[in-house]
Amino acid sequence: MKSLLGAFAVVGWLTAATVAADLDEVVARGELIWAADQEGGGPHVFPDPADPRRLTGFEVELAALLAEELGVKPRFQQGQWDRLPLLLGRAADCVINGIELTPERLRDYSCSRPYFAYSLQLLARRDGRVDAFHTLAAPGPEGRWRVGVLTGSAAESVMRSRSDLEVDVIGYDGTIDSLEQVSSGVLDAAVMDDCIFNFYADRFSRLRTVERPFAGGFYTILTARDTPKLSAAIDAAIGRLIADGRLKSLYDRWDLAGRQQMLMLREGAEIPVARRKTLGELVRDTLPLLLKSAGMTVLLSCLAFPLAVGIGLAVAVGRMHGPRWLKPLLTGYVEVLRGTPLMLQLYAIFFLLPKIGLALPAVVAAVIGLALNYSAYESEIYRAGLKAVPLGQFEASLSLGLSKWQALRYVLVPQAVRIVMPPVTSDFIALFKDTSVCSAITVIELTKRYSVLALSTGRIVELAVVTAVLYLCMSWPLALLSRWFERQLERPAAGGTEG
Amino acid sequence: MITVSSLTKSRAQVRVLDDVSLEGAEGTVTALVGPSGSGKSTLLRCLNGLETFDAGQITIAGHRLAAGPHAPGLLERLRRDVGMVFQQFNLFAHLSAAENVALAPRVVLGLSASDARARGLDLLDRVGLRSFADARPATLSGGQQQRVAIARALAMRPRVMLFDEPTSALDPAMAAEVMEVIVELARAGQTMVVVTHDHGFARRAASRVVELAAGRIAREGLAGA
Ligand SMILES: Nc1ncnc2c1ncn2[C@@H]1O[C@H](COP(=O)(O)OP(=O)(O)OP(=O)(O)O)[C@@H](O)[C@H]1O
Ligand SMILES: [Mg+2]
Repeated sequence: MKSLLGAFAVVGWLTAATVAADLDEVVARGELIWAADQEGGGPHVFPDPADPRRLTGFEVELAALLAEELGVKPRFQQGQWDRLPLLLGRAADCVINGIELTPERLRDYSCSRPYFAYSLQLLARRDGRVDAFHTLAAPGPEGRWRVGVLTGSAAESVMRSRSDLEVDVIGYDGTIDSLEQVSSGVLDAAVMDDCIFNFYADRFSRLRTVERPFAGGFYTILTARDTPKLSAAIDAAIGRLIADGRLKSLYDRWDLAGRQQMLMLREGAEIPVARRKTLGELVRDTLPLLLKSAGMTVLLSCLAFPLAVGIGLAVAVGRMHGPRWLKPLLTGYVEVLRGTPLMLQLYAIFFLLPKIGLALPAVVAAVIGLALNYSAYESEIYRAGLKAVPLGQFEASLSLGLSKWQALRYVLVPQAVRIVMPPVTSDFIALFKDTSVCSAITVIELTKRYSVLALSTGRIVELAVVTAVLYLCMSWPLALLSRWFERQLERPAAGGTEG
Repeated sequence: MITVSSLTKSRAQVRVLDDVSLEGAEGTVTALVGPSGSGKSTLLRCLNGLETFDAGQITIAGHRLAAGPHAPGLLERLRRDVGMVFQQFNLFAHLSAAENVALAPRVVLGLSASDARARGLDLLDRVGLRSFADARPATLSGGQQQRVAIARALAMRPRVMLFDEPTSALDPAMAAEVMEVIVELARAGQTMVVVTHDHGFARRAASRVVELAAGRIAREGLAGA
């Protein structure tokens, strides 16, 4: 009986978690689940430096106040910032994380009344060339200015829509990644909400604000479209927090100019609702971008893989036949690269190397990262391949007067390459798919482009189909090519000398 | 041409070769016989430096090998002058018959690709396989493979040829065709050491027969004796 009740409870919880929960269910559950990205950082939501297990930030406190108004407890749900809205109705009741009120969001979600007014601020290095906003209107000495923004933020869409500026807009997944990159000279400037820069200004002493904020808008709390009672309750709660001064004192405590905030919030916003595009318009507007990003996917794989194979082969040969002192070094190389995530390696190359004066363009960093990571796997494959060549082949080579290196070059490696062709080609297809990890270092390949477009247009399904077709168009010929390769190489390699 | 003096080698506390001394004059064929495990292969492999030894010394085709590890340069020079044919042929699986024969002249002696190929074709002709020049090893019979292996070793124009049971992996008909080639070489005056179980061959082609037992020379004498 007890276990039956338990099962009911689990089923009940599952349905609550998978179906959008309106106000009654939130109250019954006793928890308001709010989603945010703690990686997004301060002053919104971030781990308390004094106790990193605890979250803090003005939105953490806002969530607590709202939950209190609804008579429940707040519960935090972590998500990647640009994908937070996808959690609505699945893992979260609402999203509270510096989500800007835009025509697209009004169209796709239920948006609360504004709770915060943000301003977009241009940031550059104190000793850099960008000293006024209009500097960006003409190309710099190295061509177009490189400006970093948070992917999916209002800063990104505002900067991308400014065709009057000579800028390449580069999207980052982390809020302050772009500050790091301006600081180390990889970027010329960054654009973000002024409250974020104010919060981190001490840490980036080489940076300064360029002129006054040039644009702005409001943050809104997102809820799913099918939870009208919850949306209304949140709106009413915000109203009460504004009216009785609790919101103002919260902002004052966070040094966010409470008085000014209240003035702007009372003024409110007149933002139109975006029109839903027809399927034709959608394809017309997104296909060129998707195709371009597919090209990036192909470029990354075709540059990185031959490099990976070359390095991997060299490492395998070095480990098996190199001088004794080299072997532990190469073993370490392989184990470190295999034992750490590709994402981390890309981060190190892209974000840490500039700190020692080696700033690489994102695509170069991506190719190097993929090549190094895969070289570890390729070297293990080649090591197995070299071991699979019978010892007699090596002895026969030596007995003819070939040196060890000549034996490797003319006899062992050519045979090993044939032996390992199947696993190597399947690794190529794996790398092809792994290129999507490179979005972490601002390279926009097909998967990233899809996710950006799907979120900005709200057309998740239609674009998924288009993207899947594009992936198939690329991987199908690849699979055919690799099978053809295998057939070519299998012929001469068939059988051995043992007959 | 070949002098082995007091060669001693142990492997895992077992004396595989025990005070072996041996002479092989230019143009002679030495047959090495003896029961399985008596050290025939080990002795042969010491002669071209595929194995090291613990004591004694070897002089072969003008090169001197001492006990302990050998310098790579010395081995490469020695092996140009000392060819070897293996029981399992060990043809390069990814190369055609002609390429197998031409590889070492091209890579080690620096012959042009066309000169090396010409030399390869000549030698394939000599072992009766000219028409199989472009065949892969896997498509050849065992006897044909071993004849290609002999041609491959001859391509370096070695002063000494070493054979390790060249016909043991073959059925009698194929063994005969390979033996034919080796006997022909002996007639042409090639200095050779041949490990064999084939007493017929030993009698027919060898100048001397050396019998090993448990790593020692048990008997030594003129062929047919
Ligand atoms: N790689 C090895 N490791 C350890 N012991 C070995 C190895 N190869 C050979 N031996 C041992 O060395 C001894 C001599 O072996 P060797 O192969 O020289 O004999 P063989 O006379 O050629 O025999 P066969 O007629 O079977 O070829 C044997 O006792 C054998 O077991
Ligand atoms: Mg043997």
